[in-house]
Amino acid sequence: MSSLTGYAAVSMILFSLGAIGVVSRRNIFVIYMSIELMLNGINLFLVTFARYHFNMDGQIMSIMVIAIAAAEAAIFLSVIILLFKTKKSLDTNMFTQLKEEVK
Amino acid sequence: MQTPYLLWIILLPLAGALINAGFYFYHIKFREVPEKLFAIVGTVTPFIAFLFTLNLFLQLLDGSANFEQTLFQWLEVDQMSIEMKFLGDKLSIFMSMFVTFVGWLIHIYAVGYMKGDKGFGKFFAYFNLFLASMLILVLADNPVILFIGWEGVGVCSYLLISFYYTDANNVMAGNKAFIVNRVGDLGFILGVVTLFFALNQTGLSFTEMKANIHLASNDLLILSGFLLFIGAMGKSAQVPLYVWLPDAMAGPTPISALIHAATMVTAGIYMVARFHFLYSSVEEIGLFIAYIGAISALFAAVIATKQTDIKKILAYSTMSQLGYMFIAVGLGFYSSGLFHVFTHAFFKAMLFMGAGGAILALHHEQNIFKMGQHRKRLPIISATFLIGVIAISGIPPFSGFFSKDAILAAAFQEGQYLIWGMGMFTAFLTAFYMFRLYFVVFKAPSKQEESYVYTDKTITFPLVVLAIGAIGAGFLNFPAIFHGSAFVDSWLAELNSVKLHMSHGTEYALMVASIAVAAAGIFVAYKKYYNYDVYKPETEDGLIGNKFYIDEIYHVLFVKSIKKMSVFFVETIDDKIIDGFLMATSKGFVNIGKKLAVIQNANVRYYAFYMLAGISVISFYVYITLIGQ
Amino acid sequence: MIDVVFLALSFFAIAGGVTMLLHKDPIYCALGLLISVLSVAGLFALLSATFMFMVQIIVYAGAIMTIILFILMFLNIRAEDLPKEPRKNILVTLGVIFMIPVNLLIMEGVTRLPDADMSITNKDGFGGIHALGMKLYQEWLLPFELISILLLVALVGAVVLAKRREKKKGINNV
Repeated sequence: MSSLTGYAAVSMILFSLGAIGVVSRRNIFVIYMSIELMLNGINLFLVTFARYHFNMDGQIMSIMVIAIAAAEAAIFLSVIILLFKTKKSLDTNMFTQLKEEVK
Repeated sequence: MQTPYLLWIILLPLAGALINAGFYFYHIKFREVPEKLFAIVGTVTPFIAFLFTLNLFLQLLDGSANFEQTLFQWLEVDQMSIEMKFLGDKLSIFMSMFVTFVGWLIHIYAVGYMKGDKGFGKFFAYFNLFLASMLILVLADNPVILFIGWEGVGVCSYLLISFYYTDANNVMAGNKAFIVNRVGDLGFILGVVTLFFALNQTGLSFTEMKANIHLASNDLLILSGFLLFIGAMGKSAQVPLYVWLPDAMAGPTPISALIHAATMVTAGIYMVARFHFLYSSVEEIGLFIAYIGAISALFAAVIATKQTDIKKILAYSTMSQLGYMFIAVGLGFYSSGLFHVFTHAFFKAMLFMGAGGAILALHHEQNIFKMGQHRKRLPIISATFLIGVIAISGIPPFSGFFSKDAILAAAFQEGQYLIWGMGMFTAFLTAFYMFRLYFVVFKAPSKQEESYVYTDKTITFPLVVLAIGAIGAGFLNFPAIFHGSAFVDSWLAELNSVKLHMSHGTEYALMVASIAVAAAGIFVAYKKYYNYDVYKPETEDGLIGNKFYIDEIYHVLFVKSIKKMSVFFVETIDDKIIDGFLMATSKGFVNIGKKLAVIQNANVRYYAFYMLAGISVISFYVYITLIGQ
Repeated sequence: MIDVVFLALSFFAIAGGVTMLLHKDPIYCALGLLISVLSVAGLFALLSATFMFMVQIIVYAGAIMTIILFILMFLNIRAEDLPKEPRKNILVTLGVIFMIPVNLLIMEGVTRLPDADMSITNKDGFGGIHALGMKLYQEWLLPFELISILLLVALVGAVVLAKRREKKKGINNV
């Protein structure tokens, strides 16, 4: 079971769960955490193939991804705080300033 | 042989029209132009044209060859080549002789009649233009040029009928004349086209067609003959395209005299005579023409017995006499028909002018019973009127007798006893209603003291001249049995008319019969109307009085139905279907846009969803391709 | 033996993901994510990526999850602040349907690759710090420097975003 196919399957399932979460949940925290789950899934995929090809490049890329995820965490959560301060709500459907009023 | 005069005959009235038109513009825009100027230009030009025509006539009398004048090549497309060319053969010169002469007299009459009218100059411009168009028609060398004149007289007729344009009824009458004529014109054009193709596209001029007539198949000749006659039906007011003629009386009396008595309405007969080579070879169409003529003659005469407007009575009488002419040309007696055209021009123009003089004297009263009530003493008018009425009834030795009798004898000789019978009965009715008119207007006892009214010389002079013609014109074609010269018959010999050849006994018997019939009509009118109480006028009631409701029938059949169709096209097809379709298309686009705009609801999660959907679709497609390999 | 461990770790990873996806309360979602992250770290170890295993635990589970929980508690979210999600289940189902083709495609591609040995190995110090360090500073030097700049930018950005704004006349406070 712990063959290439198995690891690939797990990583794809994690990625899918993350994608579904971004699309279907309204709570902004959950959206953020789904993004992090997606990144995790991809990391697993990269490391799997690093082992498959016996090449360290996959792991290097994975480290880059983690670094970026960290940076993103900082920014994302600051933005969440700011949004919560203005609208006092965690609902993403509240933020519709991109829309033009249709007469 | 070539001559420059044919163009001048036409150009002179045309120039008169243009000069008068120019002066009229000046008159209404800048300063007043005296009526005398318009009158002089308007009357001198037809007179000079008459002199030129007389000159050509005398030359032809001396034995000269036919005159031609080619101006320029007008159209040349493949085998069809049309030249602007005029032909002055015996028929054309004969027609243009009395057209210019009677036209000139009526122009003089119009000077007196239209005196004081605001549009005096405009009237003479139109009138001269009419004369020019009629001359183009008569002098044309090929049917296309004839059609130019044909259309021109139609236009001038419309312009002049609607002359008193402030009253909408007059304009409607003008429209009616033009539109009904148009129906006829369509037939004419189709006839010319058919003839052109029937003759295998050899030449379009009359002389060429005459030479090539044997090339055409009989069926095509029948078709083109019929179509050309439809044009004549419209122009010469025969059944069923006659409805415009009574309404055309809305125009001033001079045009009723010239256009609707002497000239334009005879264009149809002239055309049939011109195409004699065609009609001689298709006798079925000729018989059809004769029957139409007989029916129109009888029909009009019946209606005229109940009319009360003096001009309408004369209009129906014109239609009736035109029917006689068509009987003649239909049966192949071209010269007899044209002779009746000639005599009819004289006495009908005179009758109309006399009626116009009476109308003027009685302050524009047109109902014959009211005219009887207010009678004044009008010696010259009533005398010339009497001469005209006797002439039209066919009493010898006035001219109407000779021409009408020739036609009736022709019908009898050809074995067309029905036509002969209808013609005889129509003669009876003609005498009846014309004398009814005369008695009621001039003779029935009026309680009013008859004061003498001075009538202008410009009105009486033409009346007298035409009276001489009405009396004497008959002698131009004095029949052979009276040892006459039969001048007109021999003049028009090249038309190959059928000749009268019956025994003298029959001919005398027929003459006596027609005189008897006319006398009977006069007698009945005398009994009824000589002492008629004009203070109890007849009204136009009943089937005959309402003109057999033909106008109403036409209105329902044609006007209403076409109007309904137009309304249908505008409202249903144009508004609902075509517009509706276009508007639906554009609205559909707008609606689709509105519905699609829902996608952009500014909710970023939805955008992410759409991206996901897109990726999903693409990967599905790639997956399908991948497992296929 | 390896298979059992693999199956257990996969199960926890996926279970954590599902919890995170479906639960209403964000604290529980964060907990689910934490379990998932830790399981993924374990999977890294199974794949001979020892350094990755440590980095995952230190950075992801240790730093990122901590800050998420910290912010969650900082904002003092009550139950009524949570958004109502009436159609969550429908959307999740829809999402599943849309994700299936993508997964199918990837798995199809992966299964066509030839088999290779995926056992735990230490050959050439694979997955160790030394090997990773050498690779990082020799081949991947430029991305390494850029990542550091990125982290600097994130740092500055976080400070700017979190600063208290003075109230200016007529300008919104966002």
